[in-house]
Amino acid sequence: MEIVIGGLMEILQPQTLLLICAGTLVGVLVGALPGLSSSMAVALLLPFTIYLDPIPAIAMLAALYCAGTFGGSITAILINAPGAPPAAATAFDGYPLAKNGEAGRALGMAAASSVVGGIFSLFVLILAAPLLANIAYKFGPPEYFALTVFGLSMLASISGQSAVKNLIGGAFGVLLATVGVDLTTGVERFTFGVPELYEGIGFIPVLIGLFAMAELLDQAGQKDRPLERFGMSALKLPTVEDFRRVWKTILRSSGIGTFVGILPAEGSTVAAMIGYNEAKRWSKNKANFGKGEIEGVAGPEAANNAATGGSMVPTLALGIPGSATAAVILGGLQIHGLRPGPYLFENQPNLLYAIFFAMLIANLVFLGFGLLGAKHFSRISLIPRQYLWPTVFCLCVVGAYGAGQTLTDVYIMLIAGFVGYFLNRAGFSPAPIIMGLVLGHLVENSLAQSMILFDQNAWLFFNRPIALAFFALAALSIASTPLGRLIKIRRRVAADRLAHGNE
Amino acid sequence: MNTLRTLAAAAATLLLPVGIAAAGDFPSQPVEVVTHASAGGGTDTTARTLLIRARKELGVDAFVQIKKGGGGAVAMSYASGKPADGHTLMAITPTHLITMARGRAPIGIDDVKGVVRSTDDPIIVVAQKTTGITSIEELVSASAASPIKWGGTQAGGIDHIAAMTFAKKSGAKVAYVPFDGGGAIITNLMGGNIQAAGLNYGEAVDGIESGDFVPLAVMSSTRLAALPDTPTLEEVGIQGANFSTVRGIIVMTETPDERVAVLEKKLLSAMKHGTFQAYLTGIGLDASSVGGAEAWNAQIREMYDNIYVALGELGLRK
Repeated sequence: MEIVIGGLMEILQPQTLLLICAGTLVGVLVGALPGLSSSMAVALLLPFTIYLDPIPAIAMLAALYCAGTFGGSITAILINAPGAPPAAATAFDGYPLAKNGEAGRALGMAAASSVVGGIFSLFVLILAAPLLANIAYKFGPPEYFALTVFGLSMLASISGQSAVKNLIGGAFGVLLATVGVDLTTGVERFTFGVPELYEGIGFIPVLIGLFAMAELLDQAGQKDRPLERFGMSALKLPTVEDFRRVWKTILRSSGIGTFVGILPAEGSTVAAMIGYNEAKRWSKNKANFGKGEIEGVAGPEAANNAATGGSMVPTLALGIPGSATAAVILGGLQIHGLRPGPYLFENQPNLLYAIFFAMLIANLVFLGFGLLGAKHFSRISLIPRQYLWPTVFCLCVVGAYGAGQTLTDVYIMLIAGFVGYFLNRAGFSPAPIIMGLVLGHLVENSLAQSMILFDQNAWLFFNRPIALAFFALAALSIASTPLGRLIKIRRRVAADRLAHGNE
Repeated sequence: MNTLRTLAAAAATLLLPVGIAAAGDFPSQPVEVVTHASAGGGTDTTARTLLIRARKELGVDAFVQIKKGGGGAVAMSYASGKPADGHTLMAITPTHLITMARGRAPIGIDDVKGVVRSTDDPIIVVAQKTTGITSIEELVSASAASPIKWGGTQAGGIDHIAAMTFAKKSGAKVAYVPFDGGGAIITNLMGGNIQAAGLNYGEAVDGIESGDFVPLAVMSSTRLAALPDTPTLEEVGIQGANFSTVRGIIVMTETPDERVAVLEKKLLSAMKHGTFQAYLTGIGLDASSVGGAEAWNAQIREMYDNIYVALGELGLRK
């Protein structure tokens, strides 16, 4: 109880509260802007938090993360341009609702289900993270290796359409991670004699480049098309009847979102897609989906916000990012000298509760913003591109420079931007590349460390039950897609037989 | 933010009585301290804490210039490109000496000379409680059956060199396991994945106090004030394996000696001040960390020679 109050006290400082509100506001704005995602906003904000105390800094980043995930739904509903990838599924039914003149109902439902999903996942976070952390000191290199293999096994399904392209992207990310002096041998790799590359390629500049800079280049090539906007005389909130209809969907999606969030490498986007699919699968009004079904808004919105709390669980307890944004927050913790992992809760008992309350407050604040300010937020999308994107460019440069205070990182960001632009055009998504870059270090180093610990005898992996469990999960996740297809075919065959039997 | 601070400091300097700045002709312009590590790290914090008082002592502004990359190579190439007039200082660590010894630096050990030593943080050999090892002799005999898993940082770094030099001098069989940073070493030592490690006092203190880590010996010629019962390696009969996370200020060799003397005197008195002493206490060190040019130069030389030999044996030197 003491640490709960301790954590609350850390947050109930005027400066911290102000930072959380600012983070929430920025998060909603950035989330609502197409192309500006919450992971990018957190990455851009990160260098500026170096001068804050750790708890206010992390609280602000966490608040921004929550709010950014919600913000995306505003533009998804109003102009059919999801402000962030996780909101993509929200547009499926949100935009038709808005076209029917029910934008208020859709926005209200998006805000309400986001908050429920978000808060649900926070309670899971507060319960699960210390539990996970308790077993986490048993996590040595062999367990980390197995865990990372599991994380990498999900690369194929992380985003976009093509599993093969995601795997290629992931492999490219792992390749980028090998640049620099190898941890376990001290040998330089792919540095080409450039001293700036000895310490490897930074994760933040690549992230900013692939996400923000690439999107900027993409936008620069588009004609400035006039944006449609809908008149919203009043923000009509969803009725009690609506809530009676969707509460099951919200709860289901909260659970799905939290679980998907906890899985390493799986973020809000996947959670939202699964949340939408499940809402449709269990709904009585399947036919209405895609035409303006309120359950189709609640499903993905509850799921994508639940994934925020979920993804913080492995981030804090194991130091393994649960999503791209969580990966940036992980970097933030490290910049502040906090090593996420089992000892985090012992050394900083207040921190977990402080993050919990910060995200809780953020959820409540954006509920207010969402209900009262949605009308005004929608105007952001009307900012002329010629003003918006140059501003983004400045933020990119500052953000890339700020973390390491070296121009090399700015060049890396620019190169990553151009590479990302062409990769996007070729149908590659940046997310697997980032995941490969983040997990690449870990998978390689933990394998090398394990082999030293095992005196080069790989069979000793079988003596580590936790590692075995993760290997099994990895095998399952790789096998699940072909297996699922097989089951589907069998079922169809069975159904055909049944149909024929009836004839 | 940095710029703001620098501006503020510059403004403060302008307000200083003109007499102080004009009293000697050195230093006559802002002094920069080139570092190789990110803001907020140990080297950065040490340099910034030193400069708080050094500004007043020197009578000019002083600031930290971060030039990251190449294990100090970028910082060394920047500092060696500036005029050797005593206005460009460099904060160095064993990392710089290793980079020089591996032939990856634009300068060599003869191109630099020491001014002051700011921290001297000897490496402590600690063992995990459950191994039952309580002394260096027990560690050596335990290693005969299967090599001791010894955690440390980056292969080819100072921890690696210290561990392998210790192994050679003591006859212990050591399997060195490199980790990303101090935090990972501690977690793995606590969890029993590794059996021993070479840690700085600040890293080891929590584990030693909780009884999880057993301190075996200090890699230094004198015992640590904070660990009076832990012998030095020399006391248990192991010579030439003294390594320490040492940080200090150097200048290029061409810098005039009288200017180096001015810098030494002023920086030493800056470090006598409570601000710097409180910082030393905070990281588990004491006033003996600070040293003058003579001691510092000798230490740089000795460490460089040890590193040069060890890298050759590890096959990591050109």
